[in-house]
Amino acid sequence: MSRRPLRRVSTVMVSLAAVALVAAACSSTPTAKKKADKTAASSTTTSTAPAPTTTAAPAPSTTAPAAAHTATTTPAKPTSTACSTSGGPLSATCDTQSPSFKLAGAGANSIQPFFTRVFYYYNQADKGVSVNYSPAGSSVGVTDIEQNTVNFGDSEIPIKTPASGTGGNILQVPVDLGGVALSYNLPGVGGGLKLDGPTLAGIYLGKITTWNNAAIAALNPGTNLPSTTIVPVRRADSSGPGYDLDQYLIDTGGSQWTGSVAGSAASTKWPITNIGIGEQLNTGVAGFIQQTAGAIGYVEYAYSLQAGFTNAALKNAAGSFVKPSQSAIAAAGAQASTLSASNFNIVNGPGAATYPLANFSWTLIYQKQSNTTQGIVAGKLFDWVTTTGQQQAAALGYSPLPANVVSLAHRTLLTLENSAGKALFTS
Amino acid sequence: MSTTLLEEVPPPRLTPVEGVKEGLQRRWARPGGRAYAVLRWSGATVFAVIVLGLVVSLLASASQAFGHSGLSFLWSGTYNATKDVYPTGIYIIGTLVTTAVAIIVAVPIGVGTAAFLSELAPTWLAAPLSVLIDLIAAVPSIVVGLWGLLVLSPAFAHHVEPFLKKIPVLEWFFHGLAYGPSMLLAGTVLAVMILPTIVALSRTALSSVATEDREAARALGATRWQVVRTAVIPSARTGIEAAVILAMGRALGETIAVALVIGNNNALPHSLLAPGATLGSAIINNFGEANPGLDKSSIIGLVVVLLAITALVNVGGQLLLRRRLRGQGAVT
Amino acid sequence: MSATVYPTDPNTRSDTIGARRTLVRESARRSLARRRLVGRIAVGSCVVAVAISLAPLIALVAYTTSRGIRAISWGFVTHIPTPPGIPGGGISSAIVGSVIIVGLAAVIAVPVGTMCALFLVERRGRLAGALRFGADVLTGVPSIALGIFAYAVLIGPGSLIGHFSGIAGSFALAVLMLPIIIRASEAAMRSVPRDLWEAGLALGVRRSRVVRSVVLRGALPGLVTGNLLAVARAVGETAPLLFTVLGASLLVTNPLQPMGALSLTIYSNANQPFPAAQQIAWGTAFVLLVLVLVLSIVARLVSARLNRQAR
Repeated sequence: MSRRPLRRVSTVMVSLAAVALVAAACSSTPTAKKKADKTAASSTTTSTAPAPTTTAAPAPSTTAPAAAHTATTTPAKPTSTACSTSGGPLSATCDTQSPSFKLAGAGANSIQPFFTRVFYYYNQADKGVSVNYSPAGSSVGVTDIEQNTVNFGDSEIPIKTPASGTGGNILQVPVDLGGVALSYNLPGVGGGLKLDGPTLAGIYLGKITTWNNAAIAALNPGTNLPSTTIVPVRRADSSGPGYDLDQYLIDTGGSQWTGSVAGSAASTKWPITNIGIGEQLNTGVAGFIQQTAGAIGYVEYAYSLQAGFTNAALKNAAGSFVKPSQSAIAAAGAQASTLSASNFNIVNGPGAATYPLANFSWTLIYQKQSNTTQGIVAGKLFDWVTTTGQQQAAALGYSPLPANVVSLAHRTLLTLENSAGKALFTS
Repeated sequence: MSTTLLEEVPPPRLTPVEGVKEGLQRRWARPGGRAYAVLRWSGATVFAVIVLGLVVSLLASASQAFGHSGLSFLWSGTYNATKDVYPTGIYIIGTLVTTAVAIIVAVPIGVGTAAFLSELAPTWLAAPLSVLIDLIAAVPSIVVGLWGLLVLSPAFAHHVEPFLKKIPVLEWFFHGLAYGPSMLLAGTVLAVMILPTIVALSRTALSSVATEDREAARALGATRWQVVRTAVIPSARTGIEAAVILAMGRALGETIAVALVIGNNNALPHSLLAPGATLGSAIINNFGEANPGLDKSSIIGLVVVLLAITALVNVGGQLLLRRRLRGQGAVT
Repeated sequence: MSATVYPTDPNTRSDTIGARRTLVRESARRSLARRRLVGRIAVGSCVVAVAISLAPLIALVAYTTSRGIRAISWGFVTHIPTPPGIPGGGISSAIVGSVIIVGLAAVIAVPVGTMCALFLVERRGRLAGALRFGADVLTGVPSIALGIFAYAVLIGPGSLIGHFSGIAGSFALAVLMLPIIIRASEAAMRSVPRDLWEAGLALGVRRSRVVRSVVLRGALPGLVTGNLLAVARAVGETAPLLFTVLGASLLVTNPLQPMGALSLTIYSNANQPFPAAQQIAWGTAFVLLVLVLVLSIVARLVSARLNRQAR
């Protein structure tokens, strides 16, 4: 068989690769990086050994692009405490400049902007730690962490406790606080349209079909509502926002919701799927809302903030109508005095200024870290994420974790132990 | 490399062992070489192993779902989120309808374009056009889906769908509220995605028809178009078939692009303008957040159902073609 | 009735043979005119078909270009990514990753696919029919299922590699490319006229040599088209990579490590609301198109040169 055409094609590809590599090498620091990557090779562990990759090679220094940092502070330069033997206090930084740690995580799509940002800033200060996160979905992240093919997972809803996988007990750490906005496109009507559980349930059950329906008009006297048809949009893929709204409708929507297929247990999969349009991911929902007059749908608040949507004011448990905002969502988070992975629901919480649709995002990490140094690095990383890293949350439209949740995260991370069962951190 | 020639030389005297060796060598040498046969067989074996491995692993993962609900999994029409029950029957109908729309739209246009590019277009036009059409194959499905949602969907909602509703004859196909995302839009987006496959492979098939056939038709007094219709297209039939089968496979298995433009409505669509759901869109929507165990197994079950549908459609198509070909006297 | 060779005056109506000849000529002329008209209508409708088919395609490419070109700069192609809101990022790690992953996938799929196509061309019978059927069914498998399969075989517990890596993504993409390459190559090879095969074999040339010199040379444009289609498809796939490659923002060249890819960058950025992220997504889509365009042109030039050399 003639290999020449194949050789030509592969030559072309190799030359393209060479061009790309040369171009890349021109930009990044020209260390012996490529050689280091090859020799350092993957001390690739086989599937039986728990912890995935750790390259113990000279740190491949990354290019710090001409970053015009926004008005957020980067973490302090690490002290000279070595990371390898004992973690010491959880919040103390340690010196990881010489070895390099690559952590891998997978999970929910929604937290990706936050993770990308905090991991970037952490890497700026501590070049030895780089983290890759794959937004393949909460379920994929859960499977991956259970099978120990990643260092950490992330899920919008905690998995049932006690959680365990091939590496033992799994810890669930709250890292992020976000909310769900009901965005709508109604030309002529401004933001802050008041809606409550029964009207929303009616909309999503297909019973309320026009915007000037009596139920909506009753909540909004004085607003001139057009007779446009309501087009309810939902997330076709399972989602945390869907879970929150489902929970809210179960709590406040009355028997019309709980008596339907929706039942009385909230699920990430939207229960009523023969009404309206279902769209993929926040992008799909947002795109559809933007171009369809009369559409209403739920998106993450951070998303709607960036996209400039008009949002509805929802009735909370105290009876007031609250528009979504970072402070209203923070108020909802602050109500979670007894938060834990088994008691994670903060939908429809008490408080006059509380926005009813809010939820935490949970990171999953094994309690027993077979690679001690890596466990120390991961623990300190996530402690930083839940404390100093929260400044990045505000810039993105999320709300910072309330103090009690920060201490819950801290307490959970303190239970990290090495393979012998000894705690990694002292306090 | 010199070719072996039959020589008028008496064979040498050999011992039995040497005789066997000589016979084997001659046997291997003549049909095409041992190495060549090994290459062929290894290629086929590797491919067979991969396909079997894939099918077995899918069936194994889906067995839990099939065991749980039995054959009713295949035609269930209700969706229950809390009980992880999927309306497979609705998905199957959606898949078949969108693929049918895509094929009906794309095959005539694609083969016509291929005929134009290979027979009727001047070279300075044909080459850049075919490169451009091949480029569409490279556009990622999420980009096509987003384009479909952001550009095509409003165009459909405001112009195409109202227009179609006005046509009196097609009332049965096009009626009801139309917001944009619909079976029709999904079929159109699929047609856009499969067009490059059909055009590129049909063009190859058409241009490799022997010049003798064309010249013979021309000598009999056929016009340019008649040459194409009577001499070129029938000879290129195998290539065009391969193109349509590949295109159909792509249309059946497309996930993200369809999920963005079909409206994901788990109800039996009453018209082409209504939103619906397909197996592909259901798989991509539900896998990322599926609950472990039975739920995940059900999604893999949907994949198995999709494979079965693909197989059935292929078999049906081949039977149809074979019947028509028998009439024409051609050999597959 | 004998056909006369010398022309006769069509005005002599009294000559019956002449009259018949005139009738035949007239009807032939009418038939030709009719056939020409049908031909023109058919060509016209082909042109219309081409215009209709090209309109959405051109619109798609134009849309991607118009949204993506604003993001392009030298820094975009050579820097590694930064989070949204922080300027100066780029997609160099994704470009390198895609080239490596798809390159490896092609290295796996092209030889296996071509050999399997040769097998299908040479042999008739049940096995070949079953393999062909397998290829047809495999084209309908959603790419997400291939990603799950590659994860189960190469990454999950008890598997060959055990962690996310570029090569697992290459494997998933190779499985995706195989049916396209097999089917297209088989069709291309079958289109080489049978007499060329037989002439070569009749000369006593070994079969492998016949295949190498005659069939592959003759089918080369079709092979290139089929392989290009497969590679173009593979470069744009996201779902298989989400499960196998994990993505990376740093520049990674070792295929046994998690790497970045263009399609992953598009997927993760398209789902974020920040205008900067959207711009990166469309810019990446544009870069992807340019890469495939370059590859396509180069491959066609190479194949044209090889064809010329063959003559």
